[in-house]
Amino acid sequence: MSITIEADGLTKIFGESVTAVDRVSFQVEDGEVFGFLGPNGAGKTTTLGMLTTGLQPTRGRATVDGLDVSTEAARVRRRIGVIFQESTADDDLTGRENLRLAAALYGVPVASTGPRVQQLLDLFQLGEASERRVKTYSGGMRRRLEIAASLVHTPPVLFLDEPTLGLDPQARAGIAQMIRNLRKEDGHTFFLTTHYLDEADSLCDRIAIIDHGQIRAIGTPSELKEKVGGDVVTITPTHDDVDSTATFSNVPGVLGVTRTNGSYRLKALRGEGIVPAAVGAALAAGVGLATVSVKRPSLDEVFLEFTGRAYREDEGPSATDWAVRVQRFRGGGR
Amino acid sequence: MTVREFLALTQRELLKWIRAPIGIVSSLMLPFFYLLLFGQALNFGKLLGLVHAPPSLAASIYLGAPDYFSYFSVGMVGFIMLFTGLFAGANVIFARRFGTLKKETAAPIPREVIFGSRVTAGVIRGVIFGSVVFAIALLFAHLPGLNGLTLTGHAGVLGAAEIVVAMASVTALFSSIFIALGFLTEQIESYFALVNLVNLPVLFSSNALFPTSLFPGWLKNVAAWNPVSLGVDVMRENAFGSGAYYPYTAAEYLGLLVGLTAVVVVIMAALTRWSLRPK
Repeated sequence: MSITIEADGLTKIFGESVTAVDRVSFQVEDGEVFGFLGPNGAGKTTTLGMLTTGLQPTRGRATVDGLDVSTEAARVRRRIGVIFQESTADDDLTGRENLRLAAALYGVPVASTGPRVQQLLDLFQLGEASERRVKTYSGGMRRRLEIAASLVHTPPVLFLDEPTLGLDPQARAGIAQMIRNLRKEDGHTFFLTTHYLDEADSLCDRIAIIDHGQIRAIGTPSELKEKVGGDVVTITPTHDDVDSTATFSNVPGVLGVTRTNGSYRLKALRGEGIVPAAVGAALAAGVGLATVSVKRPSLDEVFLEFTGRAYREDEGPSATDWAVRVQRFRGGGR
Repeated sequence: MTVREFLALTQRELLKWIRAPIGIVSSLMLPFFYLLLFGQALNFGKLLGLVHAPPSLAASIYLGAPDYFSYFSVGMVGFIMLFTGLFAGANVIFARRFGTLKKETAAPIPREVIFGSRVTAGVIRGVIFGSVVFAIALLFAHLPGLNGLTLTGHAGVLGAAEIVVAMASVTALFSSIFIALGFLTEQIESYFALVNLVNLPVLFSSNALFPTSLFPGWLKNVAAWNPVSLGVDVMRENAFGSGAYYPYTAAEYLGLLVGLTAVVVVIMAALTRWSLRPK
């Protein structure tokens, strides 16, 4: 396999002191779907901006299809397709006009523009809406049009920045399936950023976990999960006023304990096997238990393992947090 | 291949323009009401006591135009070109806000194509608007109770071509400045503040509305170099065959205007290129 995208110590500092991307290095192989996973503000879009020549790296270098993104920007742009987070389609033009414009901008020969545009409209199920102005399109249709426009010049490398952001589950599934089909049929290399764990897990061959501008781990979803080192038993006491880390650490079979947001994460090779002893130890120590759960490692766990914090901490309160708040508001909580 | 990309982007700009007819009509309303109200109400001949004066005196003040409305209505063509240019950069800011500019900047095209296509679309809009204002002023001459534009020149095809090039040049000059400004500023508020700051001083320091022979000396000098004045001079000399009233020929004014426009467009293209560099 040859290397299609390579970043070596890629760094971006905005102004004097804001380091958005910090010495990021990775390689993406030809035909691979490579995901950048991280919360908002982690540095995903900035990295993608440098790889697609929109941003100048402060330090380090990167190549795409063997071309340096800093010194051969125009040639890189010809070899890539970019799907940005926001819609770049022109609302006042029809779907077909948008694709024809993209074809002209990317130098698709005039003779093959019509057939290529029709092929993409059919492939992305936009044929019936092709003569309608884009302002009448749904969110899912707009994303399909964006992907179609990025493919108009048949680029070997596709960059997708949060391709399913803001879409409903059905539209998200549709876009994910299209990416799988494109990869299978045309062999494109994909670099995508996402903050959806399930999307990264199901779509990507390899994932880089990025947080605060630094890559914390790279590997296939399975490799990353294996690195977590077994199952995770999460125990939430009814009260969080006493640190019970030592109590749970002494339970036979427990490989490690971390305390996060009032819960204890116990790592064990077989999660179910330690639950009775862990519950017994908690009760013996006078610790009341609210919930106990056993999970196979997910990317959620992987993120926590490599960044030291829960994935959604930066994203505001989770659904569970909201549920607890509502319960407290109604007088049902502490 | 650059020509195709340039034409595609220019076509896109024009498609967006013609698909917003309310914008087109409202742009034409301002010069229309100037012609219908200001041009009809302001009887300069009476104010200056020219009603019973020999026609040669009126012609010397209006630089060869037979009456004030004819003089003024050609100035209104300069006015619409100035306004078309001033607002040409607003859609750059909207394109950035709505994300469509990203598609262009990510494409493997010279940055000058992104700039040039917008200037060209602005020029086409300006020439069309200018021609419509000319047509309205000529139509007024045939409507009872209204002053209208009376053409007394015999410029022929060459003169008509000079008028079109003058319209194109004035629009290109102001479009390029304000399109570059659209690329340089990200705030629509700042953009419109600058438009408001610029439009009246440029208009009133030109010969578009009033004869410069009535201006104080310093303002006369400013007006002589104002690009709007240069364009309007070319149009008036051709419209009224009044070269004898001007120190320079229409072709000389046009040469100066085109040269000035070329310098400004090159500088603004460079500024746009600089603003679109990878940061």
